[in-house]
Amino acid sequence: MRLLRHLQHWLRGSGPRLQVADVVPKTNSIRQWTDTFPWTKLVEAVEQSFASRFPKRANGGRHPVPTRVLLALELLKHEVGASDDAICERLRTDVAVMYACGLDEVQLDSPQAHFVLPETLAQFRSRIDDTLIDELLAIQAAAAMDEGLVSPAHLLVDTFPTEQGSQRVTDATTLYKAQKKSSNSSRSASPERPR
Amino acid sequence: MRRFGRQCRGQGKIFVKLVRQTETQLLERGSSIAALVQEAHQALQAAPHLSAAKRERLARDLSAAQEAHQQISTQSRRLTQGKKLPHCKIVNAYDPTIAPIMKGKSNCPAQFGRKPGLLSEPTAGFIFATAVPVGNPSDASYVLPLIDKVQHAIARVSGPKRPSIHSVAGDLGVNDTVLRQALHDRGILSVGIPKTVDPINPEPCPEEILALLTEAGLNRKRTPHQVQLACACGYSRPVVESHIASLLTRGAGQIRYKGPQGAVVQLGMTVMASNGAALVRIRQQRLSKRAQKFRRLLGLRRRNVNQINDSET
Repeated sequence: MRLLRHLQHWLRGSGPRLQVADVVPKTNSIRQWTDTFPWTKLVEAVEQSFASRFPKRANGGRHPVPTRVLLALELLKHEVGASDDAICERLRTDVAVMYACGLDEVQLDSPQAHFVLPETLAQFRSRIDDTLIDELLAIQAAAAMDEGLVSPAHLLVDTFPTEQGSQRVTDATTLYKAQKKSSNSSRSASPERPR
Repeated sequence: MRRFGRQCRGQGKIFVKLVRQTETQLLERGSSIAALVQEAHQALQAAPHLSAAKRERLARDLSAAQEAHQQISTQSRRLTQGKKLPHCKIVNAYDPTIAPIMKGKSNCPAQFGRKPGLLSEPTAGFIFATAVPVGNPSDASYVLPLIDKVQHAIARVSGPKRPSIHSVAGDLGVNDTVLRQALHDRGILSVGIPKTVDPINPEPCPEEILALLTEAGLNRKRTPHQVQLACACGYSRPVVESHIASLLTRGAGQIRYKGPQGAVVQLGMTVMASNGAALVRIRQQRLSKRAQKFRRLLGLRRRNVNQINDSET
């Protein structure tokens, strides 16, 4: 079953093709968001970085999932707040997501043709390093500056805290939570006052 | 830098003696780890059935575990003896780069993680650069690396006229004399960084502008108009909180990927996604009055009506 899932994206249909750009309206938020990215340059940067750090050892094997699809899925995941599973699932059913991934045509009788596994997305992500991220951000910023949409003349700097990993549970935290819980339960258990 | 046994805001009762005794027992028990690791290394080298790659990976993991134990035991010894730590506390055995991020809140649920920094433009919230440093360094240490990243992005601009950075604004956390001097050396105004809690004057008079330019030593590099804009930008600095809020709504408040690398990837992708949304807002002219005015003053391109209509159909 697992092998079949892996091979599904090999399957090809022969029926009519759906033109994705004709189906997704220009006012669609995902389409508008997608059109802001300089995809060619971004994909080129990712492929260059991967080729230098993870050289291909053999020419055999099946064709890889296009970098454009994986990069778009990773970015879209953060835009719509979806999990790996959810965004890969949406790629199979949502035409706007197909547009974001750069799929021009979809085979109507073979919806599995553009199937991407969440594991593939995780593997792609694990290859991205901080240099590449800076490069991608610089490409996006340069494209926006080229277009005259933004200017770096006056900048604001700030920091913000983010959580990562499991948080430490101190005695004070446990006691605080227990007290809060008991006070909440006693409040809900107390009978209503007569009017 | 904290000491063990400090009075926290919670209960304030810490049994120092009991903790010290327990700590001693634990350290004694862990003292044989170094010898065990040495033996494990030798056994690994002598294992014939393992491939070279696997042997290397296991040796690397073993060294990482040994290093983590050394760091934790060193910290433990210092804390139980009441000595200060030269760096932040190690709060996660698997990732020593995670640091305490909210001080003085022992009973607060969000205590450990990272403190990313960002450099954004004040109109639509386009973020030019981000940084996820190790530990919890001072805010001032973020600025120059972030500016270097923006300079790198500017170098990629292919147009005939390359933009330049005129000013940087921040909160009191980035108020540092050395940083100001470094910014002035690069031709960047620092009038947007406050020196006191008083708000920055958004409309300085010509004499004040001249004084600011003289103080920065940028009389020939920056114009009075640029100083005016820098002051207005410094006055409107709190708008950066909305840019941070935009990142938080996209899940940047909780890093779900693993390790420092995961933090960089998640934040980078979130920032790029947020930038895409900011560019959509700019293209559709969905900006605040303040942002529109600022963009006009910066001379940024405004799309004509035909282009707007074309994008809406």
